[in-house]
Amino acid sequence: MPRIVFAPAIQRHVASPAREVAGTSVAAALAAVLAEQPALRGYLLDDQGRLRHHLSVFVDGVAVRDRQWLSDSVRPDSEIYVVQALTGG
Amino acid sequence: MTELNDQALLRYSRHILLPEIDIEGQERLSSARALVVGAGGLGSPVALYLASAGVGTITIADDDVVELTNLQRQIAHDMTSLGVNKAESAAQHMRALNPDITVHPLAARLDAAMLAEQVAAHDVVLDCCDNFATRHAVNAACVAAGVPLVSGAAVRFSGQLAVFDTRDAASPCYHCLFPDEGEASDGPCATFGVLAPLVGVIGSLQAVEAIKLLAGIRPSLGRLTLYEALTGEFRAMKVPRDPACPVCAQRPAG
Repeated sequence: MPRIVFAPAIQRHVASPAREVAGTSVAAALAAVLAEQPALRGYLLDDQGRLRHHLSVFVDGVAVRDRQWLSDSVRPDSEIYVVQALTGG
Repeated sequence: MTELNDQALLRYSRHILLPEIDIEGQERLSSARALVVGAGGLGSPVALYLASAGVGTITIADDDVVELTNLQRQIAHDMTSLGVNKAESAAQHMRALNPDITVHPLAARLDAAMLAEQVAAHDVVLDCCDNFATRHAVNAACVAAGVPLVSGAAVRFSGQLAVFDTRDAASPCYHCLFPDEGEASDGPCATFGVLAPLVGVIGSLQAVEAIKLLAGIRPSLGRLTLYEALTGEFRAMKVPRDPACPVCAQRPAG
């Protein structure tokens, strides 16, 4: 099963340890996490269910192509990494 | 290109010994112009390293004044800088480090018009600011002028670094990575804190990439570097160009 990891900047909102989740697309993997942790939804998705703009999702180290609906496919051994833009300087 | 005198050859000898830089690369640095947006945690090491490395003309912009809470990490300032504008204070320390360079402090927050003018007058821009709106404005100005952007950010124990150069057809811009100003912010350091040398790590990486660019060494484009100080881990993520990006899809002819 693919593994999903949330960067620390996201975890400060809702602790969400790295875990293996079912799914063959980023959207399905994310849905599996949100089913376990609904409190994460508001930080990750807008009210239309789209990825929030200050976030980026990477599959095996490459940014996903479909930012809006996260339809990019994932392999059973993939790692999904969710990053929040940092602004501090 | 600026020809180096004997004193400069001695000062920059450890650069000149590097075959990737040599005298030619150092002369390129001496002729180069860098714009540093922000003279805080990231801007401090950026400013000092660009100055010590001999970047000939450096403009540094910040409208803020130095406070005691800044001195925990903003190493371009000291106790004598308290109450002084950060750009002015940084400029003073840069000139003390290297009197052979020209430093232009701008005690202002750059609006869109000023940004466009300043960005177009420089060879590289280093984004060391502390807010999303400025990051997107700096990116848009860099894309419009075809000037490379070295972007850094740091808060708490986390840092990010990326180089964007839209003169390269394959390079993304900041907007391709984080498409809009977004709804959330990681907040100011005053709220969440920042580990003192974290800004040194990320600012130094920014200085490395800018010096490479200016000396003629190809930087790493299309990559977001993530650094987590708590675990000591670096990650390099690939960021492709977004062909539908409203900021950089249509690029000025080079």
